[in-house]
Amino acid sequence: MTHRIVVTGLGAVSALGLSVEETWTAARDGVGGIAPMLFDPGPNGPEGHTTPVAMVKGDALAATEAALGRRVGASLDAFGLYAVKASHEALAQAGLVGTLGARTAAVYGHGFAGLHTLEEGFERFYGRKAARLHPLTVPKVMVSAPVSAIAMEFGIKGPVFGVTSACSSSGHAIIQGSALLASGMADVAVVGGSEAINTPGCLRAWEGLQAMSPTTCRPFSEGRDGMAIGEGAASLVLETLEHAQGRGATILAELTGSGMSSDAFHWTQPSLEGALAAMRPAVDQADILDAAQILISAHGTGTPLNDKNETQAVHALFGDRAKRHPVIATKSLHGHLIGATLALQGVIGLEALRHGLAPAIQNYLGPDPDCDLDLVLGEARPIETDTLMLNAFAFGGLNTTIIFKRWA
Amino acid sequence: MATLEDELLDLVAEEALIDRAKLVREATLEDVGLDSVDVVSIVFAIEEKYGAEIAEDAFKNTLNLGEFVDTLKGLIEAKQA
Repeated sequence: MTHRIVVTGLGAVSALGLSVEETWTAARDGVGGIAPMLFDPGPNGPEGHTTPVAMVKGDALAATEAALGRRVGASLDAFGLYAVKASHEALAQAGLVGTLGARTAAVYGHGFAGLHTLEEGFERFYGRKAARLHPLTVPKVMVSAPVSAIAMEFGIKGPVFGVTSACSSSGHAIIQGSALLASGMADVAVVGGSEAINTPGCLRAWEGLQAMSPTTCRPFSEGRDGMAIGEGAASLVLETLEHAQGRGATILAELTGSGMSSDAFHWTQPSLEGALAAMRPAVDQADILDAAQILISAHGTGTPLNDKNETQAVHALFGDRAKRHPVIATKSLHGHLIGATLALQGVIGLEALRHGLAPAIQNYLGPDPDCDLDLVLGEARPIETDTLMLNAFAFGGLNTTIIFKRWA
Repeated sequence: MATLEDELLDLVAEEALIDRAKLVREATLEDVGLDSVDVVSIVFAIEEKYGAEIAEDAFKNTLNLGEFVDTLKGLIEAKQA
């Protein structure tokens, strides 16, 4: 038995704002959230350093408590708090708050865990030699904390679990959630991802990998020199078409294709073959190989290797049709949310389809012959397509591609 | 200026997400909904804020919030003396 899968709710928290509306408006207007920030590890660490990151804009705790109508306090790490806020927004849009139970699933993706809580706890332990860690350290840090918090907050009693695949985590979460619906194991699935890893120690670890830009994220640009890490979350409410129509829900889009692959090759180098092995089945399933226009929300990290490889993959897949398709790279606005990035790019991409406008790539310095795609540059560009293609290619070689079609 | 007791009750309300108005000396920990994890969270926050060191069993014989706060005040004042 298989079911068609539709989207009925969206939610977002990022450096662009605390709602889908704020996120879309900032993306459309090119008001990015990447800025230099001082990370001070305190008296027991090395000197602080300043690096470009994209932190959540606004008071997420106050916004969450206002949305839920109750206190949350320090019971959640940031990556749990953002997940609950984004899921509340998505479920409220879907009209499902207070109605969920055993036929609802929740699947959420994260590349890491509650690193703010973990790093503060370990600074206390190793740095200040304090034997006692905060009693909620384990439930705040564990990778499944956000999805448990979502389940508890909204009464979700069906299949609930976290998934992890670095930068593809929310792609895998969306695909796993859709598979639960397609197979009949649930009627509704809250899916997405969250990440909050901008801590003094973690950022030094990323710098060790030589993947971080000292300036900003410039996808597909000449002179691009790496990524900027963002924090936040994004959620989508998926339903079977029958369930959504049966309750008279407003349908936003249909999930028409998905692909997953593993490079089985290298920790940090991308693979053309691996990227294509995720993109091709998704495009075939959605039957869009000959489409007149597709909005491609690229993985577009701003690293020299990713953007070159992704360009080659788009050309290899679409051939002489490759340049029909406008390419956006919104990490130049909200940074790289790692495990949450595909979900957030999905929310922005679905808003782009709804408004008929593709948000421009920011921080672009000039053309790179290795990145000869129809890049959306300058200002938001009018588009005439109902189809969105999302790519995520993770360190460790784990790839996902998802296709959404706007509901007519 | 807030007394130390007021400060401590504010902190209890903040850490355990309890309505501040419910925190009166006569109430038992159970009455106001403080469980063992809440107590450790409060102890943790007090250690952070006041630099006091509080043993795991400091509240073993505590009957109500008044005694709880008195024990905390004693430990903080001993640290500050």
